[in-house]
Order: sequence, then structure tokens, then C-alpha cells
Amino acid sequence: MAGIGASMGTRAAEAPFRYLRPPGARVEDEFLTHCINCGQCGEVCPNRCIKFFGRENGASSMDTPYIIPREKGCVLCMKCGEVCPTDAINPVPRELGAILAGVKMGHAVVDERLCLSFQGKTCGVCYRACPLQDVAITAGRLEQPHVTDKCVGCGLCERSCIQLPQAIRIIPDYEKYDKKSA
Amino acid sequence: MSLWRHLNKLRWVSLTIVFAMLVALPFLHLYQTYVAAHAYDLLAPDEKRLYDMMETLTSPFVSDPAEDLDNIKGNTWSGTFWGLQLSDPLAVLGQIAAGLKLYWPFFLTAIIPIILTMIFGRFFCGWICPATLLYELNSNFAAWIRWAGFKVGNRRFDPRLKYLVLAIGLVFSAITGSVLVASIYPPAIVGREIYYLIALGGFGAGAVFFAGTLLFDLLVARRGFCRYLCPGGALYSLLGHYRLVRIRRIVETCNDCAKCNVVCEFGLDPLRDNFGQECNNCTACISVCPTDAMTFILSPRDYPKQGPGHLGKKYLRGAQTGDQHDAQTMADVE
Repeated sequence: MAGIGASMGTRAAEAPFRYLRPPGARVEDEFLTHCINCGQCGEVCPNRCIKFFGRENGASSMDTPYIIPREKGCVLCMKCGEVCPTDAINPVPRELGAILAGVKMGHAVVDERLCLSFQGKTCGVCYRACPLQDVAITAGRLEQPHVTDKCVGCGLCERSCIQLPQAIRIIPDYEKYDKKSA
Repeated sequence: MSLWRHLNKLRWVSLTIVFAMLVALPFLHLYQTYVAAHAYDLLAPDEKRLYDMMETLTSPFVSDPAEDLDNIKGNTWSGTFWGLQLSDPLAVLGQIAAGLKLYWPFFLTAIIPIILTMIFGRFFCGWICPATLLYELNSNFAAWIRWAGFKVGNRRFDPRLKYLVLAIGLVFSAITGSVLVASIYPPAIVGREIYYLIALGGFGAGAVFFAGTLLFDLLVARRGFCRYLCPGGALYSLLGHYRLVRIRRIVETCNDCAKCNVVCEFGLDPLRDNFGQECNNCTACISVCPTDAMTFILSPRDYPKQGPGHLGKKYLRGAQTGDQHDAQTMADVE
């Protein structure tokens, strides 16, 4: 049955573009079975980073919430999980330990060919934008960013990167999304 | 004069309040985001106007808009009121179908609507549904353009069609593993699309579907979507099959004018005591009755068939000519 479903709606791993689910969201398959498209996560988002799919990501994704980190990153206020009636987005308290344990939107990856700090021009913007500074990202020589495995993928670094195309990007956690179907 | 006949006005007030809330909430959300951004000086003139207006409206009630206004969120599909989460029973059923398992915390949010439906029947359809307001205005619009000489649709189908739509919607939800019924259920669509329009700057795909249902109602069948196709209406009808609060006809004061049948948005037959599970207790028939022959009863079943009204021509003629059927009815009354 899941196979038919996969043919009708696009899977996250084959998505036409890169998007994140709100912080605390379940793995993609489970998220889709839980989300009832009520839109409350978007209505509480103080940063207005949560948007809703039209038909561009397949029928099963219609009207589900997503985040494009380059346009607007998540500020990890954790209000969306609190309001979600179906726990498609799990409620996570706004504390460092809980966020590190409960949020996995993706992880940041630095492209050293594009990153100014790796090209000898001190920048450090992404390090300063990170809400989990020195935990998820550390700054080396010339403010070179080094992402640790604790990065939750909120996307504020990608949003702030002054390079175009951006030198630091959030790779959605597709491995996590595909665990169930694999 | 029965006081019940004013209930229909109250119903319009209720529908309007729900719709007004759905329009107000996205504006409040925008206001909250402006507050959270701490950048009043950087707002555009339009945004400043919205900010000032919302601040004036809400400041008597809230001290910290960014937090306090979170107490009312959502729409009729699923909403939050001061921590109390309420959801449409169809949302729960759709979610069960999508995941093929019951998620208890979410099921509990639909308990209050389910209990109310078992008491009042399809009251949601008549009293709360934001799409109903637009559909009824559409019905009135159809009456206007018919008066102006245009042809409007007045076909009738089998009302059981909507149970098929409900079943198909649930099967497709199970196949795709997502709550697809949300995409074909007008109140969910209306709540969502109003938010998209105001907060996200444009209608989504659901608006096209909803416009289609309005045209269907106008050109094919009056209130056709609600009567024959709505999956939520089907679920509410089933839940309200043994509802306690029903409308009944008082045969002694009924004059068989049939205004109740004409005004009934759901195409029922109050004149012959046929209400059934479809009736949404909208009370339009009570308010239109010239002789106050409609009232409420508390009963899990419809009032039995009563025959022609005692003030009607058919009843009186039956008494004079000794017509067998009507004489029988008279005997029953006596």
C-alpha cells in the first residue's frame, strides 16, 4: 500500500526542491499520515518561516507545512509543536537539551570552495547567526565554520550566508526520512 | 408566537461570527509577527495601519500580544482555544485512515464535537461551517438571478451519494498515506484559504475546488455539494442518526402551505414529517412557517407521520367528501 502511495505522492528523497519540515516533525512518512493540514503551525510561527505546499510536491504533500531555509530560517521558538493537534510536529520544550534530542530538520554543510573564510576573507556570519553557537557550529581560523553533528538544521546560517549561491546549506535529513521505507 | 422562530436569525449571527473569526485570526497572526520583529519603524505604511488597528482592538484584552494572542488559533477543521484543542470528527477519521491506526491524543480533541453531534445532529453544517455561510449566500444569489430570468440548477440526486464520497475519500487517504479528505472538505478548505489569502498573499489550489462547488450549487443542484457530496456532512449525518434534538411539525396548526419544503436548504420534506438524519436543525422551516406549526422535540426518532395539516384544504375537503385516506387521518387525530 505504501508503494502505491509513493507513486501518487513524491517522496522526500525525490523531492523537486530542498525543503525542511518544521522543528520536531516526525519522519516524513509518519508526518504525512499525522498532518491534517489545519495550518495552525503556520499561524503561530512568529517568524513566518512556515509555508504550505500547493501541488508542487505531489498530492499527499498538499497543504502540509514546509520551510525553505534560504528564504527564512526557523528561530527554534518551538511554538508549532506545542499547537499541533496531531503531534505530526512533536512538542519539544525550548531548552538546549530537549532541542538537541528532539529536533532533526537536517544538517548544515559548508562548501569550502564558496565559503569566504575558507578563501582567506574573514567572514563568520553563519557562526554568528547560529542559535546553538559553539554547540552546533564552531569557528576556526579566519572564522572558518565547522559544523558539528549536533546541528539541528534550523537554517539560520543558510539564511544569513552572504554568498550567492550560498556557501552553507541545510541538507534535509533524507536518511531519517527513508529509514522506514528502506 | 413561538420564540423558536427567531433561532434562524441567531444561526446567521453564529455563522457570521465564525466566518469573521476566520478572517480576523490571520490579521492577528500578522500583527503578532510584527510585534515579534520589534521593528515598527521598518513596517510599510499598510503594515503600520494594520499594526495600529490590531493594537487598538486587542490592547484592552492582552498585555503581551506575541504570547497571549496564541490562545486562539486555527479554524473549524482544528483549533485551539486557551489550551482546549477541538477538531472536526472527519479530521480524526481521515487521520485514522491515513495511518491505519488510532492516535488517541488526537481522537480526544474530537470528543466534544462528536457528543454535540449525537445530541444536535448535523448542527455543524447549519450553525458553524464557514462554507455554509458562502453556500447559503450562493443560494440566495441563485434565487435572485432566477428572479432576473436566468436558469439555475435544481436537479436532485440521491443524498446517499455523499456516503460513497466519504468512503472513497477515506480509501484514498489510506492509499496515499496522507489525510486527503482535507482537500475535498469545504470548511477545511475555506478556513485554510482565508489564511493563505491574508497571511501568505494568495489563494492555494483549494480555492479553485471551492469555486467549483459554488458553481455546482448554482448551475446543477441547489446546495448540491452539502446535500449529495460532502464527506463531512455524511459523517455528521451518520453520527446524528439518533440525535436527541429534532424538529417536528404540529399537525393541528399546519395549513399545508409547503413553505417549509421550499425553504429547506437540504431538500428535505418537513411537510410530510420526513426529516431523517440529513436534517441539520437549521430552523429555517421554523422561522418561515406562517402558523407556527414547527417546534422541537427531544426524541431519538422522528415524530411519526401525521398526514395533512388540519388547517389545510386537503384535510378540510377530506372531512367534507369523506375521502378514505383523509378520513382515516381524521380518525387518527381523534
